[in-house]
Amino acid sequence: MLKMTDVKKVFRTDLVETQALRDFNLHVGEGDFVAVTGPSGSGKTTFLNIAGLLETFSGGKYELDGQDVSNLNDKKRSQLRNEKIGFIFQSFNLIPDLNLFDNVDVPLRYRGFNSAERKKRIENSLEMVGLAQRMKHLPSQLSGGQQQRVAIARALAGEPRFLLADEPTGNLDTQMANSVMDLLKNINDAGTTIIMVTHDGELASQARRNIYVRDGKVSEVNNADISSPAQLSAV
Amino acid sequence: MFGYYIKLALKSVKRNPILSLLMVTAIALGIGACMTTITVNYLMSADPIPHKSQQLFHIQVDSWDPNNAYSDDADSLPNQLTWTDATNFTLAKKALRQSAMGMSGGIIEPAGDDAKPFEASIRLAYTDFFPMFDVPFIYGTAWDSQSDTDREQVVVLSKRTNESVFGGENSVGKTIVIDGRNFQIVGVIDDWQPMPKFYDVNNGGFNETEQLFMPFSLKEELELPNWGNNNCWKSPDGEGYKAFLQSECINTQMWVELPNDLAKAEYMDYLNNYVMEQKKLGRFPRPLNNRLSNVMEWMASQEVVEEDAKMMMWLSFMFLLVCLLNTIGLLLAKFTGKSSEIGLRLAVGASKADLFKQHLLETALIGVMGGIAGILLALVGLQGIKSLYGDFVDDLASLDLSMILVALSIALLSSILAGLYPTWRACNIAPASQLKSQ
Amino acid sequence: MSNIQTNTSVNWEIGPIFRAMLRNKVGAILIALQIAITMTIIVNSVYIIVERSKEMQRDSGIDNKNSFSLTSVGFAENFNAAVTVEEDLNTLRNLPGIVDAIQINAIPNSGSGWSMGLKTQSGVEHDAVGTAVYMVDEHGINALDVEIIAGENFAPTDIGLREVGQVKWPNKTILTKAMAENLFPEIPYSSVVGKTVYINDIDPMIVIGIIDKLQAPWVGWNNLENVMLSPERMDYKGSRYFIRTEPSQRDSVMKQVEELLANSNKGRLIQGMRSIEETRERSYRGHTAMIKILTTVMVILTIVTALGIVGLASFSVNQRKKQIGTRRALGASQSAIVRYFMLENFLISTIGVVFGAALTIALNILLVNTFGLDRIDWFYIPIGMVVLWLVGQGAVFGPAKKAANIPPALATRTV
Repeated sequence: MLKMTDVKKVFRTDLVETQALRDFNLHVGEGDFVAVTGPSGSGKTTFLNIAGLLETFSGGKYELDGQDVSNLNDKKRSQLRNEKIGFIFQSFNLIPDLNLFDNVDVPLRYRGFNSAERKKRIENSLEMVGLAQRMKHLPSQLSGGQQQRVAIARALAGEPRFLLADEPTGNLDTQMANSVMDLLKNINDAGTTIIMVTHDGELASQARRNIYVRDGKVSEVNNADISSPAQLSAV
Repeated sequence: MFGYYIKLALKSVKRNPILSLLMVTAIALGIGACMTTITVNYLMSADPIPHKSQQLFHIQVDSWDPNNAYSDDADSLPNQLTWTDATNFTLAKKALRQSAMGMSGGIIEPAGDDAKPFEASIRLAYTDFFPMFDVPFIYGTAWDSQSDTDREQVVVLSKRTNESVFGGENSVGKTIVIDGRNFQIVGVIDDWQPMPKFYDVNNGGFNETEQLFMPFSLKEELELPNWGNNNCWKSPDGEGYKAFLQSECINTQMWVELPNDLAKAEYMDYLNNYVMEQKKLGRFPRPLNNRLSNVMEWMASQEVVEEDAKMMMWLSFMFLLVCLLNTIGLLLAKFTGKSSEIGLRLAVGASKADLFKQHLLETALIGVMGGIAGILLALVGLQGIKSLYGDFVDDLASLDLSMILVALSIALLSSILAGLYPTWRACNIAPASQLKSQ
Repeated sequence: MSNIQTNTSVNWEIGPIFRAMLRNKVGAILIALQIAITMTIIVNSVYIIVERSKEMQRDSGIDNKNSFSLTSVGFAENFNAAVTVEEDLNTLRNLPGIVDAIQINAIPNSGSGWSMGLKTQSGVEHDAVGTAVYMVDEHGINALDVEIIAGENFAPTDIGLREVGQVKWPNKTILTKAMAENLFPEIPYSSVVGKTVYINDIDPMIVIGIIDKLQAPWVGWNNLENVMLSPERMDYKGSRYFIRTEPSQRDSVMKQVEELLANSNKGRLIQGMRSIEETRERSYRGHTAMIKILTTVMVILTIVTALGIVGLASFSVNQRKKQIGTRRALGASQSAIVRYFMLENFLISTIGVVFGAALTIALNILLVNTFGLDRIDWFYIPIGMVVLWLVGQGAVFGPAKKAANIPPALATRTV
């Protein structure tokens, strides 16, 4: 599904050379739910950016869904992001000028679906996060938890192979965080692979598998079971 | 507090140098364009003789063709008088001062073998011309009224003519040869260029003052050539210069000085009576229609301001509008970019009024800078007008203090107007929302 | 609005862009208004420029390039005008490089001259057609470089000598084709030859010839081609000469003539030596100036508007950095981002140019009513719209490129 072999990432300025990732190795299988933790500056975000094709890397090999993505151009990378990956951001990153419908619509537009198809998908995914009735509302009219649900709906509408979540509950209070986390678990149970970056150990413990990143390297912590959510069928 | 705001404004201008420069440039261009065209229009429509313009009247009587009005408008009057009527009006002396006047020209032959003859324009007028229009003299005076009556060959020189023929010295009492005749110099006038040249606008409202002045009566006596416009609705009865002078052709201007409304009413009566008398002699075939126009009325009726100048002024105002819209947009951008700072200030206890003042001052500062740059651009623009239109606009293309003040006020006013909305919007931000997003 | 999408890879986000724009009306309205007013000024200016240039390019009928004129003013007491003119013309006509020379009362396009009214019937009650009068001798046709297209030229015996204040007119005249057609609109111009026209209401003149084209002195006159030639020389102290030279010899001939005439008679002054090109340039100076001023205004205005768009677009790119990064993360390619900003600008410009079209027509109507300009030709409007569209697209391209370079990784950055 996702396979990184000796991936390196070097940031260069005129004065210093920083190795953000050094020989980063990771294999994530289909249907997995991986939580990535680590201290700040450890390379978590760099890993996430590279995994999500938001950044290029300096060396090594990265296979996404069986495809080597090392030397793809911008257009190809954008297309891969659009089709295979769904993003969930810490600060939701909803577009403030667009209502919920149009926000969920954004990645679908780039996908080139026709309007009927888009409408169906938008409605379904908003339905799934329980915000279908508020389609015409603006993000600013929603609570943080609701906003993150919209972001999740946006990430899922294109039925990506896997979901990349960057501190998805970082800006939420505990109650909202839990409901978002439940939602993610449901999604994972329905078959979508999830990689979640977080600094919250408690949250990480709810994932199927934990990875600990330090100094740009992986040290894996195998995780215990996660409780099977009850409402699997909802997805 | 004011000083503090100024300091803040300067800082803010410096923080976004490109944005600030764009705004100042936009205002400067708009102001520059407007000031250029306003100046030209202002000078074209200026009162050339402010202290007297209400008391000086140009005479019009309808001596035109029984079948056709003077122009397309049925009520229109000829814009000049016949030689006969103008002479009669002057000799009747019914006004405080009066003068028929016309244009002619001749060749001056300066004394000395190496001096080259040159052609000079002549204003023919009665002695009242000089006191009526407050013409300043350097040497001597106007001729006396006896010279008008006796048709003496006397002449008043312009300053320039006196300089080129006599090297600028006092030439009163000397003789000058014009078209082979000797003329006695009685006076030399100082620089005198009414702008517009109101007393004879139909021969060019912005032309230079004539180089010589002579008694009007010499036109008949010496059969001086008729310069300037001559218009006839019927041909002279008979051949020769005398017949031409006595014809219904119009080629003469006439001004009177009437100190008050009573004098004006009396003069109007006189004109009406005169025309009625002439009707008995078979002249003035059209309905009685006489008019006295004071200086500004006359300028307006003769449309002295060039249409192109008006058109350009309109366009320049639209230009300024575009520049202001531009500035509003840029200010909006700039102030929105400052929303976090505004939020912070609100949070630490500044009132909205404080912030409003602070930002309005900032726009005013930009306005003043734009205004000053605009005045410089207007100077460039006026130089451009001079080089495009030639010498005759020299006096129409200069900035005076009042115009500079107008420019600055327009710049200030328009920039503050432009700043009102962006300022209002920037200051109407809830303090919390701005702090949170940081 | 958004339901036009089919399954293609290029995705026009008109609907969302438009809806997002409605949330930021002020910025969009400001740009649209700027574009509208800029278009109004530019289109009307271009129209005025084109009209003025057309006027300046009208054929004067004379040989503009190779002709010049001058004035001779006698001042000596013993000056004999008629004799001087005879001598001068003899000298000039025999000078190598000169095609022909005439005495004439007014110079075409110079701004000052004579006009008279001609009637087809005798009597004060009939309407007259206004015409410029050129008094020339039998060399007039050749010197002015006009062509007789019907009838014949004056004969030397036709030429009279006009005294100062003379009222009488010769009994023959030559008209321009335009004048002939204005006087006799019902018949072909060639049939006007032999007709009698009346000057001074009642004095008859027989039309002996028709010339193709000759302009009056006043370039702003509506009936610029209404011209009559009268077979006369003038016994005036001040006398104008019109001289046509061989091609490319004008300047050297002018110098020669000035010296020659000045030295041949000391009792007169030679002045106002001026090529027809210069004379025309003076007459059209207002036009030339207007054209230059309007061109400058247009250029500056376009730059101001373009810079305004660049400024606001750069600002909005800066404001939307995070959003752009997010879009990139969600799968927008760089070209999709460029397309987004171009399309946004296109929508704003469209509002601007549609409003601008209305404003352009309004200003034109105002100019027509106030300054007597002509109505604008319809095609100026769509051309103006396209130009402003292009200006907008050109201006927004830079900021759009900058937006496209915003890295997608920005989406995961927290501040």
